Amino acid sequence: MNCGDVDQALIGESAIAHFPLDVQEHLRSCKLCQEIVRALSAPVPSYYSSPATLSQIEQKLVADLEAVRPLMPAGYAVVLGAIFVSFLALAVHRLGAFAITVMSQLQTSAMLGAMAISTGVLIYSLVHQMVPGSLHRVSPRLLPIAILSSLIGVMTVLFQFQHDADYWLRALVCLRAGTPIGFLTAVPFWLVLRRGAIISPTMTGATTGLLSGLVGTSVLEIHCPNLDAWHILVSHLGIAVLCSMAGLTLGRGAERCSADRTQK
Amino acid sequence: MVRYQRADPEAPRALIVALSPALLRFFRSQIAIREQADDLLQETWMRIHRVRHTYRPGEPVLPWVYAIARRVGIDGYRRTRRISSHESAMEVVPEKAAPVEARNTLPAFDTLVAALPEAQREVVTMMKVGGLSLEEVARATSCTVGAVKQKAHRAYERLRKLLETQAAEGWKGRIDELR
Repeated sequence: MNCGDVDQALIGESAIAHFPLDVQEHLRSCKLCQEIVRALSAPVPSYYSSPATLSQIEQKLVADLEAVRPLMPAGYAVVLGAIFVSFLALAVHRLGAFAITVMSQLQTSAMLGAMAISTGVLIYSLVHQMVPGSLHRVSPRLLPIAILSSLIGVMTVLFQFQHDADYWLRALVCLRAGTPIGFLTAVPFWLVLRRGAIISPTMTGATTGLLSGLVGTSVLEIHCPNLDAWHILVSHLGIAVLCSMAGLTLGRGAERCSADRTQK
Repeated sequence: MVRYQRADPEAPRALIVALSPALLRFFRSQIAIREQADDLLQETWMRIHRVRHTYRPGEPVLPWVYAIARRVGIDGYRRTRRISSHESAMEVVPEKAAPVEARNTLPAFDTLVAALPEAQREVVTMMKVGGLSLEEVARATSCTVGAVKQKAHRAYERLRKLLETQAAEGWKGRIDELR
């Protein structure tokens, strides 16, 4: 038993009486632990607003009181998924699915599987971000980075790095085709998300941007027959990165506007 | 909360009376926004009212409320920082030095956690002042339970070091140094 175990007990229990016996025994012998436990258990002064302030708040709330229907995250997850699939289907229908005929069965299933999993995880995170106080299994701050890293890993393993003479020209063609799809998809996503309460617009912006960017990436993965790993990483996955960065920037701007609006 | 969503006119009062002291304590525990605690409390209730449809019946209320209050606090802090960066000091009157606390006296909770970085202070305050569990703090701060546990552990390690050196230095000077 050491001081670290006392920290663990402090994290788990707030009352000393509920500490395990060995922790209590350590407490009796360690002065430093006694001090930290005593300091953290000391009563904290209570603060009260004046009744006038509370009454003023109550009046404001009651004046605008209407019944509301609780938000259903599952329904929004379905809507977000439907938007993703609709835009993907429309774009593939318009551009053609040439890559499917060129890729091996393993490449097709692994690539589309990775895209589907990434999309599912992002939608799951987004509907949780719409509801304050949701429990996140994966940190929403790290999620975009984790998904991009996994996709880079999958693409690097599945495709070979080649030297292409028209590399930049082909890259530009794909970027020009996929980026508008990503940005366009972001609009209906945003219309859905604004029905929730976004607590961190920067974080949600980056996640939404990545999700809409993945529509563009998925379209190109199905459409573009170029199987050079450099091309796929830069011109296909690059769209997801671009859209995510744009979402992050817009979210940060929205956060600043929100602080200013509150001030007025 | 469910009654509030159903527009029961008695519900806002019950919620305000039950939750305002905890919210006020939460804002008062954050030094940067302490002065605006009452304004932030009002702003929090207005936001709660606007997004009351996002509360899901059956889910814990406290993390939902604290998540909104935390956002309001961050906005308040940014506003204060922006205003203070635009303001030029007209005249600086040196404050009378506060008396250093007695060598063996334990500092108050606020003084103690003031030495912690923002993220750790927030976690310790929610757990010890708000009475939230690890999972509830994770919900309120949009973190995973593991991340909250790690922050709390680091906070206690830091506080331990702080208490260890307390005998050598006064609290005021030590806290200034750590910040």
